[in-house]
Amino acid sequence: MTLRQRDNLIYGGIALGSVAFLVWVIPAYTPPYPGYGVSASLLPNVTVGIILALSVLALIRNILSYVLIKKNKPEESPSAVANPGDKVYLWHLARFMIPCVLLMPAMKWAGFIPAGIAFMLLIQFLCGQRKPVTMVLVAVGLVGALFAVMRYGLGVPMP
Amino acid sequence: MLEVIIAGFIDALHPLSLLFVLLGVIAGVIAGAIPGINGPMAIALCIPLSYYMSPVAAIGFLVGLNKGAFFGGSISGVLLNTPGTPEAAATTWDGYPLALQGRGEKALRMALYASVTGDAFSTIVLILVAAPLATVALYMGPPEIFALICLAMTIIAGLGTQSILRGLIAAALGVLVGSIGMEPVSALPRLTFDLYQLERGISLVPIGIGMLAFSELIIQLERRVKQNGSECAISFSSKPEDRFISWKEYRGLTKTLLRASIAGTVVGALPGLGAPVASFFAYDQEKKRSKTPEAFGTGKLEGIAASESANSAVVGGSLIPLFTLGIPGNVAAALLIGAFVIHGMIPGPLMFEQNAQLIYAVYGSLIIANIFLLGVGRVGLKSFCKVVQMPAAILYPMIIFTCIVGSYLAEYSVFDVSLMLFFAFIAYFMKKFDFNHICFIIGFILAPIWETSLQQVIISSQNNLFMFFTRPVAIILMAITFYVVIKSIRGSFKKALTV
Repeated sequence: MTLRQRDNLIYGGIALGSVAFLVWVIPAYTPPYPGYGVSASLLPNVTVGIILALSVLALIRNILSYVLIKKNKPEESPSAVANPGDKVYLWHLARFMIPCVLLMPAMKWAGFIPAGIAFMLLIQFLCGQRKPVTMVLVAVGLVGALFAVMRYGLGVPMP
Repeated sequence: MLEVIIAGFIDALHPLSLLFVLLGVIAGVIAGAIPGINGPMAIALCIPLSYYMSPVAAIGFLVGLNKGAFFGGSISGVLLNTPGTPEAAATTWDGYPLALQGRGEKALRMALYASVTGDAFSTIVLILVAAPLATVALYMGPPEIFALICLAMTIIAGLGTQSILRGLIAAALGVLVGSIGMEPVSALPRLTFDLYQLERGISLVPIGIGMLAFSELIIQLERRVKQNGSECAISFSSKPEDRFISWKEYRGLTKTLLRASIAGTVVGALPGLGAPVASFFAYDQEKKRSKTPEAFGTGKLEGIAASESANSAVVGGSLIPLFTLGIPGNVAAALLIGAFVIHGMIPGPLMFEQNAQLIYAVYGSLIIANIFLLGVGRVGLKSFCKVVQMPAAILYPMIIFTCIVGSYLAEYSVFDVSLMLFFAFIAYFMKKFDFNHICFIIGFILAPIWETSLQQVIISSQNNLFMFFTRPVAIILMAITFYVVIKSIRGSFKKALTV
């Protein structure tokens, strides 16, 4: 996918999302005008309107630029290809996000310390740690220290 | 008035406040020294902890953290040629060559003294300028405040990203998220999607931690930060002239330090520019003024002095618009707004009337943090150098776990942890697609003030928006805003159509 195609996809998605907000989400989830002051939907409508206008403007710019380039050079230039640093690594994102999402339910089920230690062991493994003794020491040390500080130092009700 | 000033400074000298400022400075230096961790990230992580402190201690702690991180960034820059923070990049150009010559300690001491000098200068300017400016700002009504916020967000959006369109979209998205919760006039829930947890609105903590810290860690891990214990191959010379900065050397750099401090303070006071701009600008100016510009980049003390004093002067400078207008100069100042609000204060000109004692206590904390930075830097320089060698495989899991616990800590809410992960997810894609997450956060923080001033304008004018034309300052500010937007959009069209 070229940079331009990706940008068009993003701006198109934002524009569609904005329309959905203006037509459905904002009317459905904002209280009606109470008869005094300003309508509650004013700020959301203004901001989503701005987002819609800007994304449409960006789409128009990209389309005009595409038409002009197509006229002059039919081949897309290599610089227009997306930078590898900007590539989305969904698997990488998922393997860090999923344990984090599961941590809170796990803490509710197994308790702060066991779930926290298991989580730390897993995350260390995912971060490239392969020394078992270090892994255990770091996991137990951090979870234990945080539990002690929060439970007994700050009196926080733990999950 | 004198009693208020004295009471404020006495508050700052309370042993607990002193302790938290000291802890803030130490934590800040450590955070800054770790490549990839920066001041705003550390502030976002520590805001939940500030709930348990008094307002003076909390603000002092966060200010100390920010100051410490600015100096800390230079440690990894000088020793590893990897700046801990973006603003320390210019410091590495002369710091690392000095370290390679065995004079790493001298380079770090120069960075420390320059940081303290720049910081002291900007704090003095802040103390002298903020109160008179706030008096002027008190004459500003809702139309002027509304227009000023529009201008500030436009400038931040324009300077923070390569495309102003993306910056403005991010800022508008931030304002939209900021409008979730109770609507201020009718006090009815708005955009809550029938989730009762959203009725109180979204707090800064999950957004700050998720967008500034967690998403950044995920991206850094993606780049396979696997330097297990970045070996510090730098050796330290034992000769005193290679370790210390003599008084004569420091005096010889007075003009450089002064010029860079002025540049840093001015840049800090302007919304959106930030510390990296200040340090690159000061370094460049110093190079141009030098009789031996070719020596810059080979280990010249002037280079370190200019870069470090400029970036540290940004701290005080960025507090000027925060205290006088309630508008943050950079993301660290934006996070400080959140901290002020958490402790029941709204930054802005009224703070000088309503919380004058606290303002002077904050001034006191700023001065104390500077003194502590000097002491901590001198005493613990070699210990901090060891921090940069900590393996990423140990450090990053610890920070990830702290992010999760930190977002829970703010309101004891599991829902806040989910929100933190959601905003980290959003920020991941924003960063990948060059939508500035800083614009999002600043839009989010400014949303309530923006909405209130907009509502005041509409209600007081009885829906007549032409009332703007009776306010010359508001007209000028809005005109500048439209000029910046139209000029930037025209520029982006021109650029796209000529490629």
